[in-house]
Amino acid sequence: MTSQNPAADHLLPVDPQSGSPLDPRRQPGYYPGFSTLDQRAFWDAATRQTVMDRVEQVPAIRFFDGGEAATMQAICNRILPQDDRDPERRIPVLNYLDNRLYSGMSDGYRYEDMPADGDAFRLGIQAIDEISVHLHAKRFTELEMAQQEEVLETIHDAHPPAGGNIWKRMPVDRFWLLLVQDIAAAYYAHPWSWDEIGFGGPAYPRGYVRLENGKAEPWEKDEQRYEWEPPPGARSGGYRPVGGGRPHHAPPGQSGTH
Amino acid sequence: MREPIFGRFDPPRSSDHLLGPVQRLKTPMRHYRESEEVDVCIVGVGSAGGVLLQRLSRAGLRVVGIESGPFWDVERDWVSDEAGSHKLYWNDLRITAGANPITLGENNSGHGVGGGSVHWAAFAPRFHPSDFHIYELDGVGVDWPFRYDVIRPYYEMLEREMPVAGPARFPWGYPHSYPYGPHPSAGVGDVLIKGCTKLGIPVVAGGPVAILSGSYGDRQHCIYRGFCIQGCKVGAKQSTLYSHVPDAVACGAEIRDRSMAARVNLRPDGLVSGVTYFDAAGNERHQRCKLVVISGYAIETPRLLLNSASPGHEKGLANSSDTVGRYLMVQAGNVILGRFPQLIRLYKGPPAHALTEEFYETDPRRDFARGFAVQTVGPLPIAFAKQMMVAKGAWGWGLRKVMMDYNHWATLGLLGELLPWADNRVTIAEERDGHGLPVAKVTYGLKENDKKLIEFGKRKVMEIMSAAGAEEVVQEARYAHLIGGARMGDDPDTSVVDRFGCSHDIPNLFCCDGSILPTQGSANPGLTIQSLAARTANYIIAQSDRLSQGLRGLPEEPPIRHDLSPPGTYQRGIPRIPWPARQS
Repeated sequence: MTSQNPAADHLLPVDPQSGSPLDPRRQPGYYPGFSTLDQRAFWDAATRQTVMDRVEQVPAIRFFDGGEAATMQAICNRILPQDDRDPERRIPVLNYLDNRLYSGMSDGYRYEDMPADGDAFRLGIQAIDEISVHLHAKRFTELEMAQQEEVLETIHDAHPPAGGNIWKRMPVDRFWLLLVQDIAAAYYAHPWSWDEIGFGGPAYPRGYVRLENGKAEPWEKDEQRYEWEPPPGARSGGYRPVGGGRPHHAPPGQSGTH
Repeated sequence: MREPIFGRFDPPRSSDHLLGPVQRLKTPMRHYRESEEVDVCIVGVGSAGGVLLQRLSRAGLRVVGIESGPFWDVERDWVSDEAGSHKLYWNDLRITAGANPITLGENNSGHGVGGGSVHWAAFAPRFHPSDFHIYELDGVGVDWPFRYDVIRPYYEMLEREMPVAGPARFPWGYPHSYPYGPHPSAGVGDVLIKGCTKLGIPVVAGGPVAILSGSYGDRQHCIYRGFCIQGCKVGAKQSTLYSHVPDAVACGAEIRDRSMAARVNLRPDGLVSGVTYFDAAGNERHQRCKLVVISGYAIETPRLLLNSASPGHEKGLANSSDTVGRYLMVQAGNVILGRFPQLIRLYKGPPAHALTEEFYETDPRRDFARGFAVQTVGPLPIAFAKQMMVAKGAWGWGLRKVMMDYNHWATLGLLGELLPWADNRVTIAEERDGHGLPVAKVTYGLKENDKKLIEFGKRKVMEIMSAAGAEEVVQEARYAHLIGGARMGDDPDTSVVDRFGCSHDIPNLFCCDGSILPTQGSANPGLTIQSLAARTANYIIAQSDRLSQGLRGLPEEPPIRHDLSPPGTYQRGIPRIPWPARQS
């Protein structure tokens, strides 16, 4: 195990055998060399346009102001850490999130007890700073990685030690789901994340022919696993129920599958 | 970068309206003047509206469909991309509330011509005969105003029109076989088959799904790319946009897309006179007609009735019983996720491709009424990440790590029958939409039977997943589909529309979509919604003389009209096994 050094001087995942940090990669994950973008000549024109625009036309930050954007970036860095990616291959999730809020793109509903999405994010940023000050007498952006995770974990557990006025206006468990799902949706919409997890990406008009037994298409890659663990001291590597396991906080799913 | 042998796949430069790679819409579409009183105005051209439009126009009626979303040119508008498909869903504001508020939008609400049939996974099972009288059998819910034998010929017809691919022998409910052959199995289906077989649970694979296993006219066969609920660009998965709307347009129906219905108007004599709507440019317009059918689905249909309140109808149109918006249902849609040592690659193949209905009926050994189905599902990465956020509480490094194992997970869906309750309902909220129309508020809460059913069903699916060899099994609570809100029945005091979809209060106002179903079974509702639409269309056609004079239609079951099926669908695809029961 690798927890001998909780105050690690890096934020990199480690090799569980040696405990030594794994260098950032161009493409983390178990499918080295797999590139969905390399297949784009085989996609239909409309899909190619949509995905290439996402990669090449990264929207500017327009919804969050400077201070909010800095805090939100730090939050994104912990909700969806990318320290294991080469800096030029990090996915600009904040820009996509900001663009959704700036353009007023809605998911088609709002919980009766929640403010509009944009207001929820602004309130959430404020509450996260209040918790940071309460726990460590510093703003969120000034905290160490493990302290930032500690702050966010109190929201994950639906048990925040500060920000009470804000949580009266916005249930903490609903804010957590909004926060995580928006950031995750931005990350897993990007083709670099598809390469990382071995998802085939757009597949029209070509389709798939090897449907069973997890077989790879000729243009896909077989899995090449390596072992890794979250950086020493990280708290987000384990899995705990949202809401700290209290039944009335067990949230419903957010996405349509059937 | 490698290039395809025959070059890149670009749409032709012509201005043809393309429905899939081959199918073209016949243009220009007929256009009716607003001053012209058309025979029927249909609000919402989705699963039900598309079938109604086709039947009525083929029978020679002058029909206008008013659709809030776009008339998709799918080759140009749709993408093989999860995030890029957001526009297929109803994204306008709705308020969700109650003890167990339901998520809306992409979860269950379509937008644009084809409606929910554009984003459904296309599981097309029939309801069971028991579904039509659960009060009589089990003392719960309510009985339908008719039994299975009334809808059966429509099931058989729609299974050919969509068409539905499935197993040669479907053993549950009213046993039957499917007109088109089953699909090859994919990773998640293999898991369901393996788990069920281990536990001795009968299971079917390869359908029933409204997805083409072979090419069909100008529609291509499935290519197993897994993007079913992002809209099938291939043309293989049925939506009414592919199966019925082209014939409707060819028969002279007009579709006004990007047009949001604001209210249904009344004449001084109390009959419906037409529909007021906002066109694509935001101008308020009025279409006169002899008869209105509202096909806006379980939230927008009640919303339009409630927003059409007028003198004499203060509680909303067709609402003398105070039933409009009530008895709204969702199905238990828990997703059970299992991690396997071997690779699954759940994104390949249609998400919908294997199921069991072995637990569908009430079982006296259980402590709740009614039952559930178990089905395959196939979340793409964003949906899967959201599921892991809930099912494992994943975030941060944990989320990154479990996502790297995406290809090791298989996903099964519970589809459980939740019962109709009067206080689960659609009402009008204080908030307004961009047109100034009050938006819908949806209030939902589970009752005791619902909770017990979900608990039992969830555990059963987890057991199946473990039996299939999963080394870790987790689940998230979820709800699927929407049903009710304008239910049908014989009693005008407890239902909104009669057994044919005609409102009890106003003889020339009909509702026809998922909102009129009194109960929902444990079957995906798409086939039943479209089958009922064909029947209501037959009724309107059969009673058109009376209805056009403002008289209530006679309470007579309309004749079956095979001649109104889209050309070439009737008697194509013959079920391979002659079932003795079919001769009854």
